Amino acid sequence: MNPLSWLGIRRRGLSPAQQQRLDALPAPQPLDDTPLDDCRFVVVDLETSGLNVNRDRILSVGAVVIENSLIDLGSQYECTLYQENHRVTESVLIHGIAPSAVADGVAPADALLDFMDFAGTCIFVAFHAAFDHRMLQRGLRDELRHRLRHRFVDVAELAPMLCPAGGRRQSLDEWQQHFKVVNQQRHHAAADALATAELMLILLSLARREKLETLADLDSRLRHWRRLRQARIGAM
Amino acid sequence: MNENDKFTQAGKTAVMQNIQGIIGFLLGYPPFNLMEQGHLAWLVEHAQLRFFAAGDPILQPQDGPVQHFFIVKQGLIRGERVISGNDEPDTTFEIGTGECFPLAALLGERATRTLHRAAEDSFCLTINRDDFVTLFSQSMPFRDFALRGVSSLLEQVNQQAQKQASETLGAHYSLDTRLDSLIGREPICCPPETSIRNAVKQMHEAGVGSIVVIDPQQAPAGIFTLRDLRALIANDAADLNNSIATVMTPQPAALPSSASAFDAAIAMTRRHIAHICLVDDGKLVGVVSERDLFSLQRVNLVHLARTLRQAESIQRLRDLRSDIHQLVDSMLAHGASSGQITRIITLFNDHTVCRVIELSLEEHGDPGIPFSWLCFGSEGRQEQTLHTDQDNGMLFSAASGAEADAHRERLLPLARHINNALAECGFTLCKGNIMASNPDLCLSAQEWRDKFSRLIRSTTPANLLSSSIYFDFRVVWGDKRGPEQVFAEVLRQIGGNTLFQQQMAQNALLNRPPIGRLRDFVVARSGAEKDTLDTKVQGLSPFVDGARLLALANGISVTNTLERLQQLRERRVLDPQDADAYIEGYQFIQLVRMQQHQQQERDGKTFSNRLDPDTLNQLDRRILRESFRQAKRLQASLALRYNL
Repeated sequence: MNPLSWLGIRRRGLSPAQQQRLDALPAPQPLDDTPLDDCRFVVVDLETSGLNVNRDRILSVGAVVIENSLIDLGSQYECTLYQENHRVTESVLIHGIAPSAVADGVAPADALLDFMDFAGTCIFVAFHAAFDHRMLQRGLRDELRHRLRHRFVDVAELAPMLCPAGGRRQSLDEWQQHFKVVNQQRHHAAADALATAELMLILLSLARREKLETLADLDSRLRHWRRLRQARIGAM
Repeated sequence: MNENDKFTQAGKTAVMQNIQGIIGFLLGYPPFNLMEQGHLAWLVEHAQLRFFAAGDPILQPQDGPVQHFFIVKQGLIRGERVISGNDEPDTTFEIGTGECFPLAALLGERATRTLHRAAEDSFCLTINRDDFVTLFSQSMPFRDFALRGVSSLLEQVNQQAQKQASETLGAHYSLDTRLDSLIGREPICCPPETSIRNAVKQMHEAGVGSIVVIDPQQAPAGIFTLRDLRALIANDAADLNNSIATVMTPQPAALPSSASAFDAAIAMTRRHIAHICLVDDGKLVGVVSERDLFSLQRVNLVHLARTLRQAESIQRLRDLRSDIHQLVDSMLAHGASSGQITRIITLFNDHTVCRVIELSLEEHGDPGIPFSWLCFGSEGRQEQTLHTDQDNGMLFSAASGAEADAHRERLLPLARHINNALAECGFTLCKGNIMASNPDLCLSAQEWRDKFSRLIRSTTPANLLSSSIYFDFRVVWGDKRGPEQVFAEVLRQIGGNTLFQQQMAQNALLNRPPIGRLRDFVVARSGAEKDTLDTKVQGLSPFVDGARLLALANGISVTNTLERLQQLRERRVLDPQDADAYIEGYQFIQLVRMQQHQQQERDGKTFSNRLDPDTLNQLDRRILRESFRQAKRLQASLALRYNL
């Protein structure tokens, strides 16, 4: 008997097959001196039942891979998750995933295993990555009792760092406009992931121009930029 | 997995949102809009998306054999070639959204010869060479496009032009004729077991070029033509006692007898065949040959020409003008090039002018002084469209200035009569008074010689403008030798006068093609002409002026722009590839202009050369832009040649 079952959080045991898959998941990519061009980036976009990272759940996962500084369109991930007791909230108006689609979805444990398997040894990339990072972390913990150790790069941070001319842009829409990236279907997990990936390609090209060659270069530059920004905000 | 399974597999993953999105994008552009959905899905799944910042090189000659096929998803790619003596590389082409590259290098398994550079931030879809080859072998429209590139697009444009024109052809027009009204006799046919010898004998006796082999139900089983016979005779092992069934072409092309002559012409052209079986309810009812159709067209052309030459009055000539308009419609429908059409129009205009002169001589009385009728400008270049005005003059011989004055005195009233009669026939009177009735243009050979020498020696702006009109010079009626001697003298003088050439070059750069630095058309910003550009002044003039200058400077006496370019190509004054590109560009702009005139004619509007590029479809816009760019390149090469 699961002592936490009264909380309503599902912590069913994993099947031996699932456990085996979990154990076989590849290690995350460290922020080391791997050249940016050789790194596998998985651009992820999650559509969720809401914006509360402690309560809302993942409804669908879309992911696009960047390798060798190009997007391989043949290797994309797209999955709608089955969630029990899924209630329709106002966010359905944003992501447009109908309750029927959720009911047809894949069991979350399997979906997340599939996804982590697909992601492999990679750096995750997202727009406002903290949210996707947190949601994925919680999903993996709840469904698989797995600790997410993958590193995340935030396009919402990279963009103003590498393109100060972009000014005080905040949202994915604004940055898409700035870089004139066309997104046919905003708020569809896969389409948003592709649009974010296209931004990432532009940013990688800018990074190359600034002689940022490795993951470590990028990371240290990001830390430096964060400190500067903090200092600037502090001074104001 | 065999190829077919792969494509079915592709169909399944095609439900993926992003794949769908990109397929949707590709469907907006040729040749992808013609490809099967499964092939498109396969393409996208095997594609990568790459980003190139403005200025990044994408493909370079030193990279070795090309490894990828590129489709521009967003942005602009420039082809650059370095010309010796030029600091800035020459932009040889621009590739915009929805277009692809490099076809020739990929097919030739070689490196690109042109540096491809991103002109602005661009995203490209790429597929690797092996996948390109797979797609090439699987998809017909893709193969067609890859092999023939833009010319396959031009063909599409022509097909559209044909369709538009054929829709407006009246029911009386001959190509709308039903095929059953064309077949005069019973079809020549035989059963499959007939010997080859007997079948050929039957053809010979009937005097026909083909025999249809029919089964007991009278359905055509095959066809045997004189061409097949030729191949048979060339084959030593052939035995004429074998059955005709062993040598016939099975499943001959067939149409119902209710189909039109136009259907048959299209079917023949498409399949490169000269005979079509007419089959009703599964039974052979007749055969139509290529000759049946072409005789039909020739009647129209030849008949119209003859009627013009024999018209008994100016009134009749005027009535015949509408027939010429119809002929242009039908020629567009037959996919004639703009060059062919303008030549035909000029031909009919020449017939009209000659007949007007003859009728005028009858009505007005012959002054008894031999003269030649000259024409200048577009008429001189044989490039008239339906929208045309008069540019003409008279040349006669005179021993002295006094004699010239006396002759002029007697010829001028006749010239006036001719000019007015031409105006009645639809040739608008020239606003600038470049007409034979102007005493300055009714001159003796010596006076013309002096006039032309003055133009060449003193290059005032007015004289340069006159040069650009008078040196497109042709004789329409009367003795040709005298005027040609005068023109030969002109060529000799220009060839030795670099100052004149340079001034002409400067003039040829005045009309700038209406494209901006990047990709959009430059259109008028305000007024009645808002959002439009001038196809004649901005599009055609750069070609016409450039070709004129180079031809005159190099002693080429033909005046037609296409012929001038052709001869400049032969004499290597122009690089053959460049010359071909100029010819295609010029012809396309002319075609667009003519289609517009035909449309204006049908709508009862006044003729205008102003075009709103937004009214063109995607394909036409793209080719028009490319054509204007060729005009720009021609001007750039003139500037280089004459150090401007």
